[in-house]
Parts: sequence; structure tokens; C-alpha cells
Amino acid sequence: MPDRALLLKLLSAVILFGAWEIAGHIPISYAFPTFLESMSAMFRMIADGTMIDAYAETLRPLVVGVAISAVLGIAIGLWIGLSNFFDWLFSPIFIVMQAAPLAALIPLLVLAYGIGLTSKVLVVCIMAMPVIVLNTAGAVRNTPESLKEMGRAFLASEPSIILRIIIPAASPVIFAGLRLGISAGFIGAILAELKITPTGVGDIITYSRSIADYPSMYAAIFSIILLAVLFLNLLERTETLLFKGNERGYVSD
Amino acid sequence: MRQFLKKVAATALAIPLAIGLSTASVQADTIRIALAETPSDELAAFFVALERAKANGLDYEWTAFSDEELAIQAVLSGQMDIGFGTPYAAMQRSKAPLRIVFQLSKLKFFPVTTKKYSSLEDLNGEPILLHSRGGGTDSIANVIEDRLGIEFGERSYVPGSSNRVAALLGGRADATIIDLSNKNKLMRSEAGENFNVLEMFEVEASDEALFANLNWIQENEEDVNTFVKALVSVWQDMAEDPTIIRRETNPDGPIGQLPQEILDQLDGFYADAVEGGLYDPNGGGRKAAQADMEWYSAAGQLDGDASELNIEDFWYLAPLDAAMN
Repeated sequence: MPDRALLLKLLSAVILFGAWEIAGHIPISYAFPTFLESMSAMFRMIADGTMIDAYAETLRPLVVGVAISAVLGIAIGLWIGLSNFFDWLFSPIFIVMQAAPLAALIPLLVLAYGIGLTSKVLVVCIMAMPVIVLNTAGAVRNTPESLKEMGRAFLASEPSIILRIIIPAASPVIFAGLRLGISAGFIGAILAELKITPTGVGDIITYSRSIADYPSMYAAIFSIILLAVLFLNLLERTETLLFKGNERGYVSD
Repeated sequence: MRQFLKKVAATALAIPLAIGLSTASVQADTIRIALAETPSDELAAFFVALERAKANGLDYEWTAFSDEELAIQAVLSGQMDIGFGTPYAAMQRSKAPLRIVFQLSKLKFFPVTTKKYSSLEDLNGEPILLHSRGGGTDSIANVIEDRLGIEFGERSYVPGSSNRVAALLGGRADATIIDLSNKNKLMRSEAGENFNVLEMFEVEASDEALFANLNWIQENEEDVNTFVKALVSVWQDMAEDPTIIRRETNPDGPIGQLPQEILDQLDGFYADAVEGGLYDPNGGGRKAAQADMEWYSAAGQLDGDASELNIEDFWYLAPLDAAMN
């Protein structure tokens, strides 16, 4: 019943934004604007082009970083999952990357790679890649042995076992990793813009905060969350398109 | 299931209540100070004043925040009592009931350039390196543009005067605006001859000020008076003899624990600061408030005409007046 799902989604949005509006009216803090103020700030910034310019800036490290993380992450993850040797070689790197307190390590990245695009892309990759790699590797390793045996019994070649058995079997978890990794990438992009040099959306956040224009600040934060949610929905559509059996009905139903 | 839900709901209610009660009980007579940076040589005079206030019965504890905005938020939410910074925009735009009680330091910053430029007018259309958008050096750049009728080229932002000096030395920038101590360090070093300090108008506006919630000030008037009095006494003694800061620094306090090299430079730092007019021995007061109104309106942090703004909406002058008498 798609209508019911849509209705529930709208209802939860109304409850959330309603609570935000009420919290802004109380107000819980002088620095907390109402939902409507934030939305009008957002539309104002979209209309005068500020938001569009900001996203042109922010999307660069984000898209490059997420693309690298997704492609490289899945490739390395497959590799690690298929070979014990590469597991031994690479896994620790990604486990360390995932556990590292990135915000504290940013000065080190700046020291090595400067304040430009490279550092920001790296922050996105460090945030996004470990989850993608580790999830993919785990999924590949956990492909049911009986399925692979069946493939071998039908004399399938190694590449076709990977393409037709392992990847489809692993795809739900690979996509779960992608979803987590990409949301982490969004966090990384904003973190980089707040911590390295303020550009794009990070600049709107810091600048509005410094001139106490809190509606614009929350509008910028809201917009990035909105974008992340839209993107994750798109990812899920892609998943169901590529792997028909994966429909389980969450986020985008 | 219902039992479980009930339990969850009870816990959800109990936790914020417990937190609320426990924070309420912490509010004893200790005043909580929100610093906008970790203690460094620039805060030595402030800590000397705190020591003097403590001798007069003021109990305090401090927390260093990583930036001024967080200190402002902490004071706004009541988790901290007194904060560091210049929250003019927050006071005006979000109607936050904050008031400034003391001007800690003035916005003494200096345009430093390579030999390519010799006056501010030469910087028309040229790129410049500043601290952050909407920050102090950005406001200085705005006011320079305004007063001289020039317009800087592209502004890029590198937080921290010392980092901007590094950019100048590394040839990555030709013009920047830096603070007094970094300007002196640069100009006294061997590399100094490659750079010019451009002539600039006097600025009386505040860089750092002490502020608190109006309610809290009124409820704790006595503590605030003791504190402001201690600050005024240190600022005045320092104006006569900058070496008192080093001498009165508590060796067990946060400044006394800094590395010896920094402590050895305290005398030089405060001698320069006093000579450069970084600290107003009178704690700013009406003069600083007026200068701030003009400055921050010109810099775009305050809306409206400076002459129509009411000082009382931004400053609480009674403790300073009492201390000056």
C-alpha cells in the first residue's frame, strides 16, 4: 500500500517540523530559529543564488570523494573478501581509518596536502571508504558456500562465479555499506568545510553563525540533510533496478 | 510490551529531569567562565586579574571552548556565567539578553604586505588574506574599504595570525592583516625588511570583551563588581608597569604551567601591547561601546545607524563605573 507509506512519511515530517516550529517559538535557545524562519531563509538563499553557488563549491569534494570511495571501496572490498592475503594486507588500514578521530587529524592532512580540494576529497574518502570496504569484504566472504559449489559444479569460470553468484549474493550488504558510507561522506564534506577552509555550505554555516543569522545557518544544515536523504533514496532506486531481489521496503517506500 | 513502553517512557522523562536537577545544584557561588581559546600568553593578564579577584573572595572555574561562538552559546544557555567575545550580532539579531561588562582588548590589527605595496590605497583590487568571513579582520577590511573608498580583490581566509605570517613568508600571499604580537615578531625578524606595515587609522573597537546574561549580572552584582574591579586594577597597573603580569602570574595556574619560553616572552608581549594600546586601562566603558557601535555597524555585524543604537542594550556599565570610582 504505497499510499499508506506516503501518508506515514508525510505525517512523520509534519510531526518533526511541527516540533521544530514549537521548539523555536518557546524558544529553547535564543540561537534556535523556528522551522518557518529557517525555510524562508533557505528559499531566500536559493532565490538569490547563494545556496546554488555554495553547492557548486561543496559538491566538488563531495562528488569526487564519494565516487572514488564507492568505486575504489567496492573494488578493494571485493579483493579483500576474495583473498586472505589482501585481507591481511589491507583490512587493518581501513579499520584504523574508521576508528581514527578524523576531526583531530585534519591538521595533519592540511600539513601534507594543503588547504585545497585534495585535502577535502581525502576527508570525504576517509569518512566514506572504510564502511564501504569493510561491508563489501564481509559480504563477499559470507557468500553461501553451497551457491559457489553449485557454480563450480556447473563448470562456471571464476569470473562468472564472482559476477553471477558472489556479487548478487553480497549486493544487499554492499548497498547497506554504500548507504552508510555515502552518508558519512556527506558528513565528511561538511566537516572539511568547517575545519579546513570555510567554503560552500560550510561557509554559509560559519558565516551565518558569526553574524548570528541563525535561520540561515539551520537552513544550510537542513539543506545538506535533505540532499543526503534524496541521494540515499536515489541509491536505493538504483539498487532495486540492478538487483531485483533486494526489495525489502525501507527508506524509500 | 506495554510494560516495556511504560518503562522507556519513564526513563525518557527521568533522565532530562535528573540532568536538570543535577546542573541546578551545581550552581553554587562559583562563577563559571567560558574562555574562547585555550589559555595562552594573551590571557595572562586576565588570569592575573582572576587571581586578584579570588583574593577578594571570588570563586571561579573556567572552561576553554574551541571558538567564540561556542562560548556565546554556553553563556546563552546558562551553562556558563561569563563569556569571552564580542556577541554584538547575537545581542541584536536574536535578542539575546547578553550585556558586555568589560573591554578586554581592542581590535589592534595591522595590514602587512610585501614591498609591492606601500599604502592601503595600493591594495585596491588586490587579493588579501584574512582570518575568517564575518570575523574581526574581515570587519577591518570592510571598514578600510568603506573609509578609503577602495575595494579589495579576492579575499581568502586562513585562521590564525601566525598562519597568515607563514603564508606571507612562504610567498603564498602579498597582503594580509595580522595582530600586534605577530606583526612585531615578523618585523623584528630578519625577514622583516621584506615587508611593509601599512599606515592605518586608529581603532578603538573591542576585539574581546567580557559578557554575561543580564539576569545573571543583576543577581550576582557583587561578584561581577569584584571581578570587574580586579580587572580594572590589573589593566591600570599593567599600563604603568607591564612586567607585573609576569611577576603576578600564579606558577600553579594555567598560565604558570605554560612552557618557560612563553613565560619569558610575557614581559615583551605586554610591553608591546601596552605601547600599542591593545588594552584600555579604563576597561572600555562608554567610549568603547560607542566605538563598537560604529565599528560593528560599518562592518555589517549590527543593523541600523550607529547613532540610533542604544548603548544600554549592549553594555551593562554599572560594575565598571563602580570600579572606576
